[in-house]
Amino acid sequence: MSKRKKKKKHEPKAAEAELNIMPFIDIFSMLNVFLLVSATFINIGLIRVQVPFLTNAPPPKDKPKRSLEINVGVEKEQFELETRWTQAPVEEDKQVYKFNKADIEKFHDAMVSLRSKHPEFDKVTVFSEDDVPYKKLVRVLDGIKVRQKDDPVFTEVDKKSGLKKEVDYIYRKVVMGSVVL
Amino acid sequence: MASVGGEQTESLTLNLTPMLDIFSILVCFLLMSYSTDPVNHDVDTNLELPESATLVNLDEIPAIVVNRKEILVNNKKITSIVNGDVVESDRAQGAIMPLFKELEKLAEMNKKARIKAGVEVKEKLGTLAMEMDKEHRFKLMKRVMLSAQQAEFINFKLLVEKTSD
Repeated sequence: MSKRKKKKKHEPKAAEAELNIMPFIDIFSMLNVFLLVSATFINIGLIRVQVPFLTNAPPPKDKPKRSLEINVGVEKEQFELETRWTQAPVEEDKQVYKFNKADIEKFHDAMVSLRSKHPEFDKVTVFSEDDVPYKKLVRVLDGIKVRQKDDPVFTEVDKKSGLKKEVDYIYRKVVMGSVVL
Repeated sequence: MASVGGEQTESLTLNLTPMLDIFSILVCFLLMSYSTDPVNHDVDTNLELPESATLVNLDEIPAIVVNRKEILVNNKKITSIVNGDVVESDRAQGAIMPLFKELEKLAEMNKKARIKAGVEVKEKLGTLAMEMDKEHRFKLMKRVMLSAQQAEFINFKLLVEKTSD
């Protein structure tokens, strides 16, 4: 036993291997600075709308005589969905909604239901009062345009190819009816 | 003194592992949130965009910026905003005269560019991307849209801040 102990004492110490992490830190620092400078933390999206305009072009030949008018009137505290047919029977209908989550969902469901029932009419006209904040108007536009996860998928005929394609919105054409001279 | 007693001096080392952990997490987060959209745009510092659930991504840099203080077209100041409306001297028939003039020039330039590129020029097909503060009233938006309408821009792309839900 004593011999063994002696032997161990004279054994050279194993060299400690150390990884040089400084270049690694340098790369990480540079990468961090680059990403922090170039990062955009706000995800920006778009909502497409139109304004009415006068044209000399003849009306489309395939336009049905009796069509459904879908109008949304926006006021400061509430908004309403009004539907009516251009020819008898007019079947006018009006629903009023408040700017709360439940009502906006109801409004969205009503828009989805309208689009499902009458897929041939894809235009909604929005009339807004002057004192309505832009953020409230966008909430209404969201309800009209944005297709949510549980909503049915709507299709449109592609003008170029003539084939039906799935679209990620409910109503394509939203016209700001109040923008007139 | 430690060395006087014949003891070895203690070498002090900085523990870099926590710093590396932080760096790794930060790099991962930044790489995950790094925008790969073709258009990268910084929102004007003087405005806040309204929130929207839209799925449509930004595809062009906005031409009109309506912040809390002024209206800009391609970064050029057009008019000032006082109490949420344009100054009275710049208003004309519900629209904004200097804005209309600037957009008219822009429409003309676009038309020339399209002719030069051999693209068919259709009437009243102008599209404008607009960035506006969420607190502004529709009255101001209407003025901007009216001015653009008179300059033959009838399609608008309203910039919004995308929400996850």
